[in-house]
Amino acid sequence: MDTQPVLRLEGIRRSFPDGAGGRTAAVDGVDLTVSPGEVVALLGPNGAGKTTLIDIVLGLVAAEDGFVEVLGTTSRRAVTSGRISALLQTGGLLPDLSVRETVKMIASLHRNPRDTDEVLAAAGAAGFASRRVSRCSGGEQQRLRFALALLTRPEVLILDEPTTGMDVNARHDFWRNMSSLADEGATIVFATHYLEEAERFARRTVLMDAGRVLADGPTADIRRRAGAARVTVTWAPSDAELAALDHVLGVERHGARIELRTDDADALARELLTRTGAHGIEVASASLDEAFRYLTAPSDEKEVAA
Amino acid sequence: MSIATYVVMDFWRNLRNLGNSFFVIVLPTVLFLFFGSSMEWSTIRVGDGNISAWTMISIACYGAAMAATSLAGSAAVELQQGWGRQLALTALPHSGFVAAKTIVALCFAVLPVLTLNVTGVFTVTDMPLGTWLATAGLTVVGVLPFALYGLAIGMAFRSDAAVGTATGLLVIFSFLGNAFTPLDGFLLDLGRFTPLYGVVALARYPLTGGDQISMNGIAGNDPLWAVLANVVAWTAVFGAACLMLQRRRTRRQ
Repeated sequence: MDTQPVLRLEGIRRSFPDGAGGRTAAVDGVDLTVSPGEVVALLGPNGAGKTTLIDIVLGLVAAEDGFVEVLGTTSRRAVTSGRISALLQTGGLLPDLSVRETVKMIASLHRNPRDTDEVLAAAGAAGFASRRVSRCSGGEQQRLRFALALLTRPEVLILDEPTTGMDVNARHDFWRNMSSLADEGATIVFATHYLEEAERFARRTVLMDAGRVLADGPTADIRRRAGAARVTVTWAPSDAELAALDHVLGVERHGARIELRTDDADALARELLTRTGAHGIEVASASLDEAFRYLTAPSDEKEVAA
Repeated sequence: MSIATYVVMDFWRNLRNLGNSFFVIVLPTVLFLFFGSSMEWSTIRVGDGNISAWTMISIACYGAAMAATSLAGSAAVELQQGWGRQLALTALPHSGFVAAKTIVALCFAVLPVLTLNVTGVFTVTDMPLGTWLATAGLTVVGVLPFALYGLAIGMAFRSDAAVGTATGLLVIFSFLGNAFTPLDGFLLDLGRFTPLYGVVALARYPLTGGDQISMNGIAGNDPLWAVLANVVAWTAVFGAACLMLQRRRTRRQ
């Protein structure tokens, strides 16, 4: 049973009316298999189809085409038995309930729920349990949603952009909580549009755009392929000097400045400053948008110096 | 799983919402104490009872319709604002939500009917016991079209403010429905086609057998079929609106 995948999706398709009489594909032929204990980031910009894919996994939206299996059974059965649970994006709470009442009400609809105070403590929500939901900050509401997700001791936890609306501290606490869950053996799949979150918490990243999977593999590989950073220096190298540099994925000249896209900013910076006449160095992380541009561009273009 | 716990907590949540409770329980009771039990004409005989009974039934209908509209409307808004997704992640089947909400809405609609009838017992209201029970029962049954009305508004506008406005409109429906000021002549003829008229006339049917009482005595008589036609027609209109909106919603998904 250990080798049975937790999630098995094959050829999933789902479209929505585009408002002009036609339909737009939100998820356009996705295959995905997740094994027990994996922590997977579903990375993509807004509109990539992440939320729709998650809704399909949870049985909230039906796929038009394809095969879905969760823990060896249907989505609905996996949800009903409490083996999979989810932390949904904003909304989903009643503003006039207190935090503890919300947990109690949802707990009353599960078959074998954990103790209310226990999950409140586990989610770090015990300190504001009697507060009205409408008076909770975004981070506090997210901790409440986390408490709700913990009610059934799930084996699989799906998180849809879980840190939206959280400040830096809340974000840090949240991921520390997640890490300890993962250490206990839970399978975690989370959607995010922050490359940084994928990098810090997921060993595996599935890159999505326009309803398709662009890349699926170890997060470090994805990052390398996307070009992790841009190093800009003032320098006038010859073509031979440029070609001698390691870790350069792309080059753009802006007058006296030259911008190098790299998969190892440290090594490149060291080389530039010690072995060439480059100066005025600036290092910036590649944004997710850039990463997408490079990953979607035909591969021969990537190597051409512009 | 304990749906009973969910129902009790949901009921309590709505009850402590001061706006809801005020308009559904306090306001109708105060209206009745003023206009239904302390006027000089309150004890004048009509049908099998007195004017106080006539007024009590009318105001109870208004309160029950308020309760049904506001509860059903907020249920639709809740579902569309994401609470439905939260519930979809529990063991509760969708029909379970509908059942739970129906029980809560029904309990809520019973509140004003119960409060007003008890107030009636302790003031000057007079009806034979059988008539009393029949009118109270019909008052509760009469909330159905208004539950659908609230549901339709909630589905169409997806906001609590819209549901609040829909509940407010019931004051106008109640006036035209001959539930507040006794109507006469043209307004009575017009009122017969409005949504609250039917359920009020139905609830009062056991008392006066369809006679409509006005300041100048009996202003007209509604045969039972006409009363039922009004209730059925408006239930169908609001029900069709709900179906249409539901279809629009599923198409969008």
